[in-house]
Amino acid sequence: MLLRVMGWLLMIESAFMLVPLVTCLIYGESDYMAFLITVAVTFAAGALMTFCIRPSYSSMAKREGFLLTALVWILFSCFGMLPFLMCSTPLTLSDAFFETMSGFTTTGATVFESVESLSHGINMWRCLTQWIGGMGIILFTLAVLPMLNHSGGMQMFNAEVTGITHEKLRPRISQTAKGLWAVYFVLSAALCLLLWIGPMDFFDSVCHALSSMSTGGFSTRDDSVAAWDSTYIKIVLTIFMFLGGVNFALIYKAGTGNFKGLLHNDTLKAYLRIILCMYIAFAVTIAINGQANSISSVTIDPLFQIITTISSTGLTVSNFENWGSFIIALLFILMFFGACAGSTSGGAKVDRLLYLLKNTNNELYRSIHPNSIRSVRINDSIIPPETVDKVIAFLCIYVMIIALGGMVLTALNIPLVDAFFSSFSCVSNIGLGAGVTGYGGSFEVIPPAGKWILSMLMLTGRLEIFTVLVLFTPAFWSK
Amino acid sequence: MKIVIVGAGEVGSHLAKLLSREEQDIILVDDDQGRLSTIDANYNLMTLRGSPTSFNVLKSAGVESCDLFIAVTPDETRNVIACSMAKSIGAQRTVARIDNYEFLDMHNREFFTRIGVNALIYPEYLAAQEIITALNRSWVRHWFELHDGEIILVGVKLRENARIVGMQLKEFAMVEHNFHVSAIKRHHETIIPRGDDRICENDILYFTTTRDHVDELLEICGKVHKRIRKVLIMGGSRIAVRLAALAGDTYKIKIIESNLEKCRRLPEKCPDCDIVYGDARDIDVLREEGISDMDAFIALSDSSETNILACLTAKELGASKTIAEVEDIQFISEAEGLNIGTIINKKLLASSKIFQILLDTDVSSSKCLALADAEVAEIEAKPKSKITRGPVKDLSLTRDMTIAGLIRDGQGMLVHGNTVIQPGDHVVVFCLSGAIHKVEKLFN
Repeated sequence: MLLRVMGWLLMIESAFMLVPLVTCLIYGESDYMAFLITVAVTFAAGALMTFCIRPSYSSMAKREGFLLTALVWILFSCFGMLPFLMCSTPLTLSDAFFETMSGFTTTGATVFESVESLSHGINMWRCLTQWIGGMGIILFTLAVLPMLNHSGGMQMFNAEVTGITHEKLRPRISQTAKGLWAVYFVLSAALCLLLWIGPMDFFDSVCHALSSMSTGGFSTRDDSVAAWDSTYIKIVLTIFMFLGGVNFALIYKAGTGNFKGLLHNDTLKAYLRIILCMYIAFAVTIAINGQANSISSVTIDPLFQIITTISSTGLTVSNFENWGSFIIALLFILMFFGACAGSTSGGAKVDRLLYLLKNTNNELYRSIHPNSIRSVRINDSIIPPETVDKVIAFLCIYVMIIALGGMVLTALNIPLVDAFFSSFSCVSNIGLGAGVTGYGGSFEVIPPAGKWILSMLMLTGRLEIFTVLVLFTPAFWSK
Repeated sequence: MKIVIVGAGEVGSHLAKLLSREEQDIILVDDDQGRLSTIDANYNLMTLRGSPTSFNVLKSAGVESCDLFIAVTPDETRNVIACSMAKSIGAQRTVARIDNYEFLDMHNREFFTRIGVNALIYPEYLAAQEIITALNRSWVRHWFELHDGEIILVGVKLRENARIVGMQLKEFAMVEHNFHVSAIKRHHETIIPRGDDRICENDILYFTTTRDHVDELLEICGKVHKRIRKVLIMGGSRIAVRLAALAGDTYKIKIIESNLEKCRRLPEKCPDCDIVYGDARDIDVLREEGISDMDAFIALSDSSETNILACLTAKELGASKTIAEVEDIQFISEAEGLNIGTIINKKLLASSKIFQILLDTDVSSSKCLALADAEVAEIEAKPKSKITRGPVKDLSLTRDMTIAGLIRDGQGMLVHGNTVIQPGDHVVVFCLSGAIHKVEKLFN
């Protein structure tokens, strides 16, 4: 059954690969062979798994849900890296896997020194992987495959979708998935259109729409968005990256006329407040450092940088290194928590920050009034203590994973700060270049073993830790 | 179809799980988050925490556009009020679970329709009816009547004295034309049999037949019809009271109840019964009350375990027919394997009743009677569907389903290899759990 579902998923992936194939053909590039082979191989593998294996049992329980979700992400990356291996600018195996995983997990860390030298097809595929991964591979499958429209699909939905509790929009899981994907698709199309109206050409606007809506951050230019030096593009991207960091269920509800939920959502309010406070801090710091040399440098530039970081997109404005190290410290906080759960962003999510703060507040109050009963209230409903425990456990493990990843990287002779920063950047799925800390231009400089480790960290971060970690517990495998 | 279920108790959650597998849109409402969480995380449905009698909650559950509203909280008045509210918001059809017999009275029907309750479910009454059926045909394990009794489905446990034990099914089919062996339950497994399967001792055979031939089964299975007269009931529960009222003076009923307070109140409700104060788990008490002379022993206490064990004891002491109420669904399969005549479960009865109501609202849907791990569906064959394309034997049906009988123009008949199913026939299909979707595909 597991293999059968994976077979279907692979066939879907091969359908997605037709997009870069067509792109190659339009631009008359030689890379179309790479895609043609990949599509054929992926489709064949998928079809083989689907039709040649008779499922011995058809039910899927929690275990299978976790296993399948994690395996699917790895399998997708394995097949998704084939074009990188076969294109005109071939990568090594570990580089290609890293690049693909970075795409699917919307991390946006790249090993390419120069993306402009790549073919259009490859660039399209990079951005497309981010778009697929942004909303979730499983979620897309749930929307299109009626086969998973049962409780097994439920388990996979729970294992993949980010956040503490998983809100359902509609009674059936496929309707929920369709709703979320519709929101995602409409927003992406709108972004693409707005970028196209501006100074970008069609190809660039499609690629940037795909990679920004998914808060991934791949670009088609070496200088990223700065290449256009257009305030219009920055504003448009800022707005859509912001939306990419909002819970899609809320956007869906607002789209169907339920604005009340939007205004009364504590997480959204916290998200807005964080952005506002950060903006003030940024603007003041920039002014103090004497970098406020134009209107845009205190308005859109800091705002763009805040949003791109909190939504884990990981783009950078041209001169932000000059803003001072305090700004980088602030960015760390933004990177750590990311945006709202149920969005395409990475990080530990604002929801969890909110739980943590409210719980800490209660604990402090309890140390003065030991007999008082206080509970964590979010969106006017009381959160059971078990959920709060789970959130705190999550945050502890999250920090531990980052530290552990960093430690292993230092063993590979990467300087201390860069090792920890890369690990942090990958777990949070932000992919802010190692360049921030002044170590190399891209992730290319990291040794192959380090790339495999970082790939796993990205996956762990994207699936919010538990889905991956649970696979390594003995209890998972013992019957 | 959009269905809102209020009350995530045992009936509510059982129904929700069942219906969510049937590709229906289910929204389950309860005011206890704890009950909802596990269902929410594991089943393909939506849950909503909130009071069933709050307009706000009902609106956010989308009651205004729902096809069916089912209220099954433990509180009867709450159910009725919730239904009435739901109807006023815009629910198509409402069903309330009640525990007051008076409400079912035909004279009061009009009142309930006026306040917006379309159907009432009274599980204790359904259970009492089921017990009466079992008592009337004491040799039968399961008895289902489809389409007003045109097709009858009988489950019989075979003992060594049955003359068909050891026969292959094809031999059996050559001798007897009026029966279709649709399923065999052997140990814990349900088998959809083929011609070369052999009938064994201790199998429960499910025969499909028409009304005229039912009595021939007695002889085939080596059963003797025993008229039941004296009945001993353990536990003066609501089912017992309802049973006493339904049975009238057909049976001589004796009720053993271990709660003195209850005993004092019982004679008022069932004036024709003997009430005994005592613990029916005590063998001496059973002997004293003449268990060996009893035709039937019915265990209706609150505890499923007690009921099962009491039935086994009673059987050993000489009661010829035993009936146990088993409320824990997990125990049913285990209990069926034991030497207990009939198992009664209020939840399954209530759910199957609600399924029938569903059938009334949505003609294309099938009615399912859930056996342990098989389902019986009555499906209408659509014009041009695959099933009508030729004689049944040429349709190459998969091994997990069998066509037992059909109803054409209101007349029940059995299906043989050469039968051609015509559009509009109501066909009775047996299938293993999970195969029902395959079956539906054949018919659409």
